[in-house]
Amino acid sequence: MNTKTFEYKKINEVMHVYEHESGLETFVIPKKGYSKKFAAFGTHFGSVNSEFVVPGEDSVTKVPDGVAHFLEHKLFEQKDGSIMDKFSELGSSPNAYTGFSHTVYLFSCTDKFGENFQLLLDFVQNPYITDESVEKEKGIIGQEIRMYQDNPRWRVFFNLLGAFYKNNPVRIDIAGTLESIEQINKDILYKCYNTFYHPSNMVICVVGDVDHNSVFEQVEKSIKTSAKMPEVKRIFPEEPEEINKNYTEQNLSVSMPLFQMGFRDIRFNSKGIDCLKRETAVKLLLEMIMGRSSELYNRLYGEGLINNTFDFDYTIEENYAFSVFGGESRDPVKVKDIILDSINKLAGTGLEKNVYERVRKAAYGKFLRQLNSVEKISHVFLAAYFKEANMFDYFDVYDKISFEYVNDIFREHFNPDNFALSVVNPV
Amino acid sequence: MQKDLLLEERARKVSSFNGIDVYQIRTGKFKTNSINIFFHDDLKKENASKNAMVPAVLRRGTVSLPTFKDIALYLEELYGASFDCGVIKKGERQIIHFYIEFVSDEFIKGEDNLFEKAFNLLYDIIAKPVLENGIFKNEYVEQEKNNLKNLIESRINDKVQYAVDRCYEEMCKGEPFEIYDYGAVEDVGKIDSKSLYEHYLNFIRTYPAQVYICGNVADDVMHKAIQMLENLRVENKTLQEGGKKINVLKGVSPDSFNKSEVKTKNVTEKLNVNQGKLSLGFRTNTPPDSNDYYALVVYNGILGGGIHSKLFQNVREKASLAYYVFSRLEKFKGLMVVSSGIEIENKDKALDIILDQLEQIRAGNISDYEYETTLNVIETGIKSLRDNQISIVDFYLSQTVAGTNDDFKSFAEKIRKVTKEDVIRVADKIKLDTIYFLTRS
Repeated sequence: MNTKTFEYKKINEVMHVYEHESGLETFVIPKKGYSKKFAAFGTHFGSVNSEFVVPGEDSVTKVPDGVAHFLEHKLFEQKDGSIMDKFSELGSSPNAYTGFSHTVYLFSCTDKFGENFQLLLDFVQNPYITDESVEKEKGIIGQEIRMYQDNPRWRVFFNLLGAFYKNNPVRIDIAGTLESIEQINKDILYKCYNTFYHPSNMVICVVGDVDHNSVFEQVEKSIKTSAKMPEVKRIFPEEPEEINKNYTEQNLSVSMPLFQMGFRDIRFNSKGIDCLKRETAVKLLLEMIMGRSSELYNRLYGEGLINNTFDFDYTIEENYAFSVFGGESRDPVKVKDIILDSINKLAGTGLEKNVYERVRKAAYGKFLRQLNSVEKISHVFLAAYFKEANMFDYFDVYDKISFEYVNDIFREHFNPDNFALSVVNPV
Repeated sequence: MQKDLLLEERARKVSSFNGIDVYQIRTGKFKTNSINIFFHDDLKKENASKNAMVPAVLRRGTVSLPTFKDIALYLEELYGASFDCGVIKKGERQIIHFYIEFVSDEFIKGEDNLFEKAFNLLYDIIAKPVLENGIFKNEYVEQEKNNLKNLIESRINDKVQYAVDRCYEEMCKGEPFEIYDYGAVEDVGKIDSKSLYEHYLNFIRTYPAQVYICGNVADDVMHKAIQMLENLRVENKTLQEGGKKINVLKGVSPDSFNKSEVKTKNVTEKLNVNQGKLSLGFRTNTPPDSNDYYALVVYNGILGGGIHSKLFQNVREKASLAYYVFSRLEKFKGLMVVSSGIEIENKDKALDIILDQLEQIRAGNISDYEYETTLNVIETGIKSLRDNQISIVDFYLSQTVAGTNDDFKSFAEKIRKVTKEDVIRVADKIKLDTIYFLTRS
């Protein structure tokens, strides 16, 4: 059995890895003393993968928006009923989520880990989809879409993505639309399943107080495929190098305007440790520019232009990368003007090294805190894995990142030409 | 100390003085330690907004760190320690909460005393606010009044939660429970620096308080923290004269439950929404300190506490009417809510299916699968609480509010002992009070 162990002494963590002959990698991160055991089985197939070439075929396959998410719902159905019932019987909670770039099936339990894990391994490898169950699911997913239509935080975010991108599928709601899900049928779901749910396109991550050897043995016994599959060619539509529009708004029943704004990256490396470095740099910059300790935040707060809800983040994936910051304000446009002006001034005066050092120290502690939660570990781990990086590399990045590099990223990312603002106004 | 000896997450009362109880929760499995301080008040209209304002103003500055920015800088120096404060509503009690979480010393070799620095900050925020002419800074008070008004108004933004809160509010008209967690906009308007400062003095002198210290904290460090807390009530000695009486923590007031049967109310509210939200409010007539409470927890699990529940299986899986549907208990006031997001025209259909599920339990139609699974799911849930410091603290805080004395183990054991007959018995006491529907305008 091909296994490796990595020790991270400084943070008192260990990671065990096993590579199955199909190419599937399994990671175990033991957490001694934890009650909860958490396992996730993920595939590199998310909402943005609506165009691809199936290995062995010549032509491009195009599928309706929302397929990855729809498949996630349908996989829980098995020949002998819903797999959820079996998890529930063991007292565990199964779940799944679909993101832009990947879909993850998971459960958390406190007892009978082996039995639960077997259910996970089996159901993800055994789809059972019927015409009838697909139709039934349209009602449920339809209500999920409806719920998000009434969620102003969700809307203001997706409207911003729509301002950043003209064609990139990241701009479309993960669940698709009421119209697009109508086009989904059994054959489409099976085609996507057969293309993206090959073990070589997947990963397993287990976090909790478990014995890694038995986890690996179980995986070895349960993975049915041994052959590796050629990589799926993923196709993304041509995207102009300019943002789609710099302002967008919508009316919803909210008490005061909600806003999100940010910068879209045009050229970037989205793979491996470079990607983690860039992500870390932009996040540090956001903290330096508009974090709770910044002049800018305190000015906006003091003038009553922002409140406690103000927050920021940066996303970087295969084909898109952007910063997003916002919250609630009586005057989002004024907030935008002040932020852009302040970034412009900072470009003139330059970043302060002591601020950078302080923020880096704080970010290290915050990252460390995530290791308290088995869910959080799995979540961050998988996101990094699908970027061909390892979560524990972040600690290296925090150690080695340089002020010069952060300066370079500052000049590159915070370019007013790539800026957009999204507002949700009260009706 | 050997790490394995620290595995049990149990709150132990280590000290009690001046109406302050100090609890320690020893555990070595987390990367961080945390300190939580809670001040309790009865939920009442004249205090609700003032109580919400107190932490909002206190977090703006202390004597030694007089601005929000100074505090933020201090937190960054503590390796990004996380600080927050606010109010929590548990039944008809309003609790003012202060919290700080920071990296455990073993992960930041070369520096230590993070506990002391974090504790001092929390202490100063509570006890040494920055003042102007002997009262709170007017600038801070006015800004936070605005923020609080906005916060209260912004509750329409989250429609899922709004539909639950509004149902309870309509249901409990005339009872203290109808008061929103943060009070009311018109009451915020009446607050000024002077009256708020007077309220603050009363708060710090008389509100019963609990302190929970969680993590891998040495005894001498604990001891020092307790010594400091002993000064909390007498910080401002000149104002201490007159010797206000410190309240004593009481359990749930029996008044919360004195509600004789009423006719079911129907409430419809219109907003600009795509999805209708149906919420049903129930009186369980089962107080949290009664033996039946554990059966009520099982009842709720069977009805709508997860994917195995009757509501999920029938409203979502069988009828495809909803993406989400759940039932949830309000433990301290003895209420239960069922809520679901549906197409507006499906309201009656959904209502029929939901009420039928309650009727099924009342009639004893509980399968072995539903019963066993619910017990297993609840047990997993209880054990899982032990992996999160906030959940551990909240569990023990809830015990004190309910006037019960469970730990994770005894709670799980009592759940295990609940029989189907117990569930049917509590089902009989559950009465529908209010049907609330949020629909399109």
